[in-house]
Amino acid sequence: MTSAATKPAVTPVQAKRSSPPPRRRKGNRAHLLAVWVFLLPAAVLALYFKFIPMVEGIRLSLFKVQPFLGDVFVGFDNYVSVLTDARFMDALGHTVILGVTQTMGALVVGFVLALLLEGQAKSLWFLRTAIFLPVVTALAVVGEIWRILYFPTADGPLNTILSWVGLGPLQFLNGTDTALWSIAVVGIWSGAPYNMVIILAGLAGIDRALYESAGVDGATVWQRLRYITLPALRPAIVIVLTLAAIRSLRSFTEVYVLTGGGPAGSTEVWMTRMYSLGFQRNDIGVASAAAVLLLVVTLLLTVGTQLVARRKAER
Amino acid sequence: MDSKFKSYSRATLAMAVASAAMLTGCSAGSSTPAATDDGQPIEVWARAGTDAATTYAAMFKEFTAKTGVEVNFQGVPDLDQQLQTRAASKKLPDIVINDSAALGNYTAQGYLVEVDKSTVEGNDKIADSLWDEAKGLDGATYGVPFSRQTMVTMIRKDWREKLGLPVPETQEDLEKLATAFATQDPDGNGQADTYGMTVPGSTERGYLGWWASSYLWQNGGAYLKDEGEGKFAANASSTEAQEGVTWIKKQFCTPGNTQPGALTAATSVASPFFQTGKTGIILTGPYNFSSFDTSLGKDVYEVIEAPKGSVDNTVLAEGENIYVTASNGKPEQTKQVIDYLVSADGQKAGMTAGKQPIVRVPVNGDVDAAAVYNDPRWAVVQDALQDSSKAFPSAINFVPIKQVAAEALNKIVSDCGADNVESGLQALDTAINDELTSQNAKS
Repeated sequence: MTSAATKPAVTPVQAKRSSPPPRRRKGNRAHLLAVWVFLLPAAVLALYFKFIPMVEGIRLSLFKVQPFLGDVFVGFDNYVSVLTDARFMDALGHTVILGVTQTMGALVVGFVLALLLEGQAKSLWFLRTAIFLPVVTALAVVGEIWRILYFPTADGPLNTILSWVGLGPLQFLNGTDTALWSIAVVGIWSGAPYNMVIILAGLAGIDRALYESAGVDGATVWQRLRYITLPALRPAIVIVLTLAAIRSLRSFTEVYVLTGGGPAGSTEVWMTRMYSLGFQRNDIGVASAAAVLLLVVTLLLTVGTQLVARRKAER
Repeated sequence: MDSKFKSYSRATLAMAVASAAMLTGCSAGSSTPAATDDGQPIEVWARAGTDAATTYAAMFKEFTAKTGVEVNFQGVPDLDQQLQTRAASKKLPDIVINDSAALGNYTAQGYLVEVDKSTVEGNDKIADSLWDEAKGLDGATYGVPFSRQTMVTMIRKDWREKLGLPVPETQEDLEKLATAFATQDPDGNGQADTYGMTVPGSTERGYLGWWASSYLWQNGGAYLKDEGEGKFAANASSTEAQEGVTWIKKQFCTPGNTQPGALTAATSVASPFFQTGKTGIILTGPYNFSSFDTSLGKDVYEVIEAPKGSVDNTVLAEGENIYVTASNGKPEQTKQVIDYLVSADGQKAGMTAGKQPIVRVPVNGDVDAAAVYNDPRWAVVQDALQDSSKAFPSAINFVPIKQVAAEALNKIVSDCGADNVESGLQALDTAINDELTSQNAKS
């Protein structure tokens, strides 16, 4: 349900904007009809698989859901139980920590990767593809692989490497202090290449002449980065930040596969709590309320990021 | 925006809203589900993966050959989710075969109708204690027992003999054996890569609560106290329960006694440790015999009666019931199906007809598991079931209680430095009582 909010569907307004302005009055009607005919399949799909489930989810959040006996209207009781549940509040804290760490980590790593791999050479193309691989790998598979890498004994793959520099062995996913950070690292590893691609596109749009004139003026590498690259990348970074923030609020698969929310609930996030309430406890009403709250937060966050970005751009 | 475009959009919007109302409208409201015979073959659902489904299919084929009654069988791995979908359309499958523990949840959702025990042919062949487990909070019978099993302890015999240790008879022995497996290189490869017990310590689906229950009972503890008349109270912080949990915590906190990563391991992650020769002890159901025989070899491991705690050697008993749903409109065929499933023929077919037994230990007293399987290991299961087993109460929805137990225990055992057994179990008591109250089952 929550995914509906994040993937923009084709809306009539967008379609109208992209259609060319009508040339003749007579052709207008036929032209509009064609637009709608072309839109119809996508619109029906979006309606059936996104908007109806979304509305249904909002409806369920107001009911005690018992499909066979008939749902009972309970008003905002479900919302109250979510907001007063200590476990949900813990999960919220973990979600925010995980979200901020993953977003910032993936942004910085993505930026560094993009700077390193910018260019036209064939070898770079190969490297970029290799580095992009984690993004197209199923998260469940990524989770299983990292579970092996994180094996918490001295002979686990990562602990072996740490022992070469005299560290460890660490507990990683098995320790209450380290589990959340271990998940964040997996998130950064799989999210950074995606950011890299967007930032690479942004880098390609920067006028080379600016660097050259800065060089003539005697600007250092840092100054070039600070006063040319970063400002030029602002649109790209805003996109990356918005997408990453939304994605990290919804993070589920990596947590579910890596720890299932444990140990001792130290990695339980909003989505895993929602999942266990909805599908393991059959409390669909409360789970729907949690989903609606997540939708609202996601909306606010998206709109907020956009507003801040626009204001900055205007200045 | 020109006006024509506006009117088109309005029309489309209206259409969209109308169709949305049409599509979702059917799921609202609270009409009473009707139970009518649609003339189709009787629909039977069971929680079954591919292997188990082959057995069901073979069993029902035999049934149809015998009675001429057609059965539309579906093996559904995520049964409860799929049932919810069917419940929303008010047309459940006619018969559902699932865990005995599902009874509380199903009756609370109104899925089931009462079963008249006396109309079941051969009902006297099924032990009264099993019939009692099929009773709801109101004391009426809502299911027919179909299969039972207990957890059993399996041990790497070759490892144990190599280290010259005896078959463990107490929890202390078991602990010593686990430590020996972890520290004395029982597989002789010169590396410290073996561990004691395989433990599904994850909170996922309440695994830790499920696994720990046997050890808790063995020391006289329990999650719940049955106060009679469908009422229960939490009992998890008794001294006996504390003793059990202290033993469990010690296993988690002694390096090597449990497999690495046990705190976040579900059974799918934990079992391979035993299967690939990394751990030497596992407490699990007999349904694993076939896969362990294939991967390890039948002679390599032994199946033993559970070692005793300070009180006895109770192990968790589980099983499957046959449930008749509220939308079942085929009383005649339903009776034929049930009578067959609990008959000696039906039970035997369920044990041997396909790739995986769906009847583990038969509920029909005329059928002997060890004889049918021709395997003395099943005698261990059968004896444990008869003499020293206990089931979770099925009248209430036990799933949430198993879940809070797993969460509380996971918290206790993950902090080895803290003295948190008593406080953790007191918190569990509160959580259990809250859950019982919300189910109207608190005494």
